[in-house]
Amino acid sequence: MSVEPNKYRSEMSIEPSALLKLLRIASPALPVGAFSYSQGLEWAVECGVVTDEDTAGQWIGSLLSGSIARFEMPMLAAFYRVWSDNDSALAADLNEDYLASRETAELRSESIQMGGALLAVLQSDGQHEPAVLDAVGAIDHVVFPNVFAFAAATWNLQLEDVLTTYAWSWLENQVTAAMKLVPLGQRAGQRLLAGMSPACAEAMRTAVSLPKDGWSNFAPLFAIASSRHETQYTRLFRS
Amino acid sequence: MKPVEALHAAGWRAVLELGFRADDERTWLARRRHSGPLVVQRSFYPEDARLCQMVIVHPPGGIAGGDGLEIKISSEERASVQLTTPGAGKWYRGFGRSAQQTVGIAVASGAMCEWLPQENIVFDGAAAQMSLQVDLADDAAFCGWDFTCLGRPQSDQYFVSGCLRQVIDIRRNGRPLFREQACIDATDPFRAAPSCLADNCSYGSMLVAGKQVSDDVIEAARDALGDNANAAVTRLEEVLIARWVGNSVEEGRNLFTGLWSALRPWYADRIAVPPRIWAT
Repeated sequence: MSVEPNKYRSEMSIEPSALLKLLRIASPALPVGAFSYSQGLEWAVECGVVTDEDTAGQWIGSLLSGSIARFEMPMLAAFYRVWSDNDSALAADLNEDYLASRETAELRSESIQMGGALLAVLQSDGQHEPAVLDAVGAIDHVVFPNVFAFAAATWNLQLEDVLTTYAWSWLENQVTAAMKLVPLGQRAGQRLLAGMSPACAEAMRTAVSLPKDGWSNFAPLFAIASSRHETQYTRLFRS
Repeated sequence: MKPVEALHAAGWRAVLELGFRADDERTWLARRRHSGPLVVQRSFYPEDARLCQMVIVHPPGGIAGGDGLEIKISSEERASVQLTTPGAGKWYRGFGRSAQQTVGIAVASGAMCEWLPQENIVFDGAAAQMSLQVDLADDAAFCGWDFTCLGRPQSDQYFVSGCLRQVIDIRRNGRPLFREQACIDATDPFRAAPSCLADNCSYGSMLVAGKQVSDDVIEAARDALGDNANAAVTRLEEVLIARWVGNSVEEGRNLFTGLWSALRPWYADRIAVPPRIWAT
């Protein structure tokens, strides 16, 4: 009896073990506290810029195709590449560049807090030799995308998959924040996620192809929203 | 081709280098090198002999495609320097060629430099590249601002084609403290996004790096900006950052002049005396 080749398995299919690692670092259950940050969205709701599903989509979608695709994710790709080359000195330099590019005090402490929390996860989940973790653990104020890229590179995940996963996590967190703040229902949340999923893939393509002099972290009203959030009278979120 | 046209076809290069020195009593211009159309008037001492003010003049009045302007400033130990410009920097339609301005400011230990130019107006069709690189040593202090207006909306000339690249990079002893890089294409829908400029054509930022930015300093800065919803202040470790977005550069400049007045006693031990050239 001849065995039919599995017609459901394509060449492009991701390895199950890699897929599971991606799912795990993208999960809202990852204990890094992402749920406690709105990145200025709370102020945008407070001051009436974001009032409903449409305006939430405009705010989040513009950031996704703006500074996330053109700065945050190219930076993540740069971190990934230096960790793939195991160049911890360059990873430390990039960490300083990333900190200097943070728009506000809140966004700076967010990336440091989440970076430290992800490092603590990696130090306790038994997936890395302690000596391997020393390279990233030695970086002062290590930021979230740096540790994320370190995990991805040491697990040999594909860069494109890592970027898409990161964009999705960011999007899911923003939409969840919008659901709490606006507020929006579950269905509206799912419509936003479905509507902006293609933008995650587009952001991944931008991030891998954009030359460094095309990177842009220019989003002044976002930076102003985040700055104003620092003194917002009542707030649920830490950014 | 007339000689002037030939000159423009090649692009007009200009370099200006200024070096300031100081002793216990005064600051003076110790070194000047220039080529092309970038010049300074004489040194002014509007406050006292320790603060040297210079007005940097670009006689052509506008920057065309192919032009390149380079300004290099060095404030040596203990020098206190204030730099400004007499009028807006106009970036003309480039006809496919980009124009460039690079400003490099090095401030030595114990020195202070203020970079307070007037606004940049980016005409429709311009391809403008502007960079400001500030290198601080040890306890050097810097206060700078920049304002940009995309197009000339008062004359119904909107920025519908062209592009703009702006980099602001501040370091202390080589370590990056602040870096913003903007890459704005006129046709990019992100520009009009609620998180970018919304329906505004102008924006500005003010950056101060000197002493530790205490809670009191941030509080005073917030008070100075008031409740303008399109302006805010924050800090990145030792850099105070103010941002403003609006439709009239004059509004932004008034706002930041107030902020400057509130902050100058902190970073320069001086009360703010607005340069007379701003009033003309």
